[in-house]
Amino acid sequence: MLSQLAPAAEAPSGALPPGMHVLERGWLSSNSVLFEEGDRLTVVDTGYVLHARQTAALIDRVGRGRPLARIINTHLHSDHVGGNARLARSGAVSIQIPAGGADAVRRWDVERLGYRATAQRCPRFGFDRLLRAGDMLRLGAGCWQVLAAAGHDPDMLMLYEADRRILISADALWEHGFGAIFPEIEGEPGFVEQRRSLDLIARLGPSLVIPGHGPPFRDAGAAVRRAYQRLDALQSSPERNARHVLKVLVKFWLLQVGQATVARLIEHFRQARYAHSVHQRYFANLTFGQMLEQTVEQLCAAGATVMEGPKVRSVDGAGTD
Amino acid sequence: MNQDCPREHPTGAEPESQTPVPSPCNSVCRMAPDGAYCVGCFRTLDEIAGWAGFDDARRRLVWRQLRQRKAQAGQSGGEQRC
Repeated sequence: MLSQLAPAAEAPSGALPPGMHVLERGWLSSNSVLFEEGDRLTVVDTGYVLHARQTAALIDRVGRGRPLARIINTHLHSDHVGGNARLARSGAVSIQIPAGGADAVRRWDVERLGYRATAQRCPRFGFDRLLRAGDMLRLGAGCWQVLAAAGHDPDMLMLYEADRRILISADALWEHGFGAIFPEIEGEPGFVEQRRSLDLIARLGPSLVIPGHGPPFRDAGAAVRRAYQRLDALQSSPERNARHVLKVLVKFWLLQVGQATVARLIEHFRQARYAHSVHQRYFANLTFGQMLEQTVEQLCAAGATVMEGPKVRSVDGAGTD
Repeated sequence: MNQDCPREHPTGAEPESQTPVPSPCNSVCRMAPDGAYCVGCFRTLDEIAGWAGFDDARRRLVWRQLRQRKAQAGQSGGEQRC
């Protein structure tokens, strides 16, 4: 077998400092990063609500039953904070969020938090401390710098440990891509911010990147180059960005429900403000339903979904492109 | 939020024959009632938690094991994804 001739690949996260664990999840839940701190634990990001029980079980298992003391969120999207409420229920847990989200979380303003815009679910949680770019956090045995990483979300933060050059990049950089640039579809800036975030990562030159989704990776330079190319393409065609946002939203929903009729899918997205924004700005020549039918066709063409009679079904392991 | 995700299982290749070995996660992420394994990917908690730190040989072993578990669960009428 060809693969046996390849050199043994050491897992990138084999280089993690003692007491730091990457819980790699799929695309519906973000990755979580767990830090052992004596007899307590800190976790960065908590996944999507539907997976919260498994998230809690993983933390309990890896943390060997030690209590969770802190939750740190890179941003407030439903796939990064969906486990907050359940995990905080277990005891005295300090929830620490980006300062830009403070008011929206305090009022639980689902409009501003984006849960209504995306028609995604997230149980309510509070916060105990606000995080700002420039803050230093002691996580496990390391000192982590809080960095601004707008683009995908205007308030998103990353965490960087300079001694070992480890970056927790949230959705600013994955091995192949980055989180959809949502702000642009409603006329808010996002491309310029995303470029700034990539510039920052390029300057840091991390030796290990732990992304919000997908496997940890070492070659940050190559990932940043791919990300610039993709950003150039999106920025030169905002319509392409809008189509991409629709594909991401539809795939995300199908990952939750498994399959649905196209009619039910269209009905679901009537609740999603982003879908209406995209419709009005970019596809006003189509009906709302036609726009989403096209999205489903594009996902099927990409192999991310498949039609089975009147139903569209999510294909395991396949993305939106 | 939200993926720009690469295709994890390109058509025509068994996941465990690829390098790097892709994650078996299919976003079901729910443990069986007895907690033995995830009803979506058939990995144990230790295999999910440890995945990011496993080398490719270990990942291939996990893929082989989860196929066996899946086959056994299918025979005994175990829980399947809808």
